Amino acid sequence: MAKNDQFTLNRRDFLRIAGLGAGATAVATVTKSAAAATPTAFAAGKFSDPAGRPKRPWWVKTVDEPTIEIDWNVMQRYNERTGSVRGPGMAGYVGDDEVDRLTEAASKNELERMLNNVDGYTLKDQALKAAHVGIGKSFLGPQEAPTPEDRGVPKWEGSPEEAAKIIRAAMRHFGAATVGFIELDDNTRKLIYGVDPDGKELIFTDDPVASEDDNARYIPNSCKYAIAYTVQMSTETMRRSPTQLGSQTTTLSYTRGETIQASAQEFLRGLGYQCLGESSTNALGIAPAFGVMAGLGELSRLNRLITPEFGPMVRVFKLLTDLPVAVDKPIDAGIMEFCKRCKKCAEACPSESLSFDDEPTWETRGGWNNPGHKAYFENSVTCYTYWREQAGTNCGICFAVCPFAKKDKAWVHEWVKAGASTAPFLDSFFRSMDDAFGYGTQASAEEWWSLDLPEHGIDSTQPVMEG
Amino acid sequence: MSDTVMIKIKKRPWYEWLLWLIWAFILVFIYQNAASSGGELEPRAATIFWVSFAVWLLAGGVIWFTRRR
Repeated sequence: MAKNDQFTLNRRDFLRIAGLGAGATAVATVTKSAAAATPTAFAAGKFSDPAGRPKRPWWVKTVDEPTIEIDWNVMQRYNERTGSVRGPGMAGYVGDDEVDRLTEAASKNELERMLNNVDGYTLKDQALKAAHVGIGKSFLGPQEAPTPEDRGVPKWEGSPEEAAKIIRAAMRHFGAATVGFIELDDNTRKLIYGVDPDGKELIFTDDPVASEDDNARYIPNSCKYAIAYTVQMSTETMRRSPTQLGSQTTTLSYTRGETIQASAQEFLRGLGYQCLGESSTNALGIAPAFGVMAGLGELSRLNRLITPEFGPMVRVFKLLTDLPVAVDKPIDAGIMEFCKRCKKCAEACPSESLSFDDEPTWETRGGWNNPGHKAYFENSVTCYTYWREQAGTNCGICFAVCPFAKKDKAWVHEWVKAGASTAPFLDSFFRSMDDAFGYGTQASAEEWWSLDLPEHGIDSTQPVMEG
Repeated sequence: MSDTVMIKIKKRPWYEWLLWLIWAFILVFIYQNAASSGGELEPRAATIFWVSFAVWLLAGGVIWFTRRR
């Protein structure tokens, strides 16, 4: 009798139960994944980190030094006015006549393509791009929100972790994808431009309050915390580059960046602190460098930031504040290592402006590069010439073809990124598979107008999903 | 003529169940990628994953059927 009551399990039953358990786990995983991939199913959790740092995939490691070497003794503050090809700097490299010729070629191409209804350059594509009228940017911010003094209360006080957490929460709410912080010391101050794009000097001062005159912008030494943040770009429009449709996602992200900057400046003002921003697009400092130092991503063969979450499909912005915040460290997600073997962007670049070198180098390719760090330096003059002469707009092919520029709905992308981070010997195989599966191929611009896409064409739940 | 009927039952070894478990996991993995690639608007990747799914499913079915007999 006692023998009959005893629970026994033979090997076959055990394996059946194990099989059922595994099957149930697989179904649960699929269900959970499907739910997480649906924005409406997204349920917010609380920050698990005291500074509000989002959980990242296990293969993203925090490191003390970025994955590119920096020689701070060589690095100097950059003159964006004369150095960059975006402004008058281009004339310094190729001459005024060539700049005039390129401007004329771009205008002629634009008109011809509109008249001929060239895919991605039609009137509706042009109209979409021109529709992104931003609110403008300023170094000091709108300065309209009431300060604690105006309200008759003391300014906000909290630990650096709490400060970082509420800034992250606010900026994510304003539309930033990821947010990181660094402290400006004698080295990282060199990432702030010496001269802004409009020719005004950026001067650090002992004055407690930031100010601006006709010749310069004055940064109080107390504003020693930099906020770096990313704004997502739409992969679906960028993969239609180089067209006006592809280009307008960059414009849209910059426009959104303007709103986020102004809101952040007013938010910090409302707490009783200063927040200094970019006076115009790409002003204040070297955006990818701030992104790298704040752990938002790694420098890449594009010589731009690639993030673990969105690949290169982001624009990077920066602010300065005197509110002490908990700072972040750079990351190593295997991105730079992957770039060494991949070279897909360099192969796809129509103007051959990107480096084919196996290893990053200290040697810059012109005044548009800032020396003092290793990188795959690009030829900005040939890149910009292609924009004006051929593309007739921003290019963006290098962003679109990057194997990290995936929407991360399919599990395989996460596996590949984890594999690239932990098993670099597989990088060449991953690159070959990326080609074989047709990723990075240019899509029809006309087709985009029939797609049912989420707001801004982005998945704003992505960073939280990867917890 | 004998009245006795012999029925031989071959027990499947444990590793065979393990192999079927791996097969099922790979099937789910391929299915998820196939379905999601459509959502990512990646038609070529979706096609490759759907074909792989069909081949993997068919291969499993054929093996199961032949071994069953």
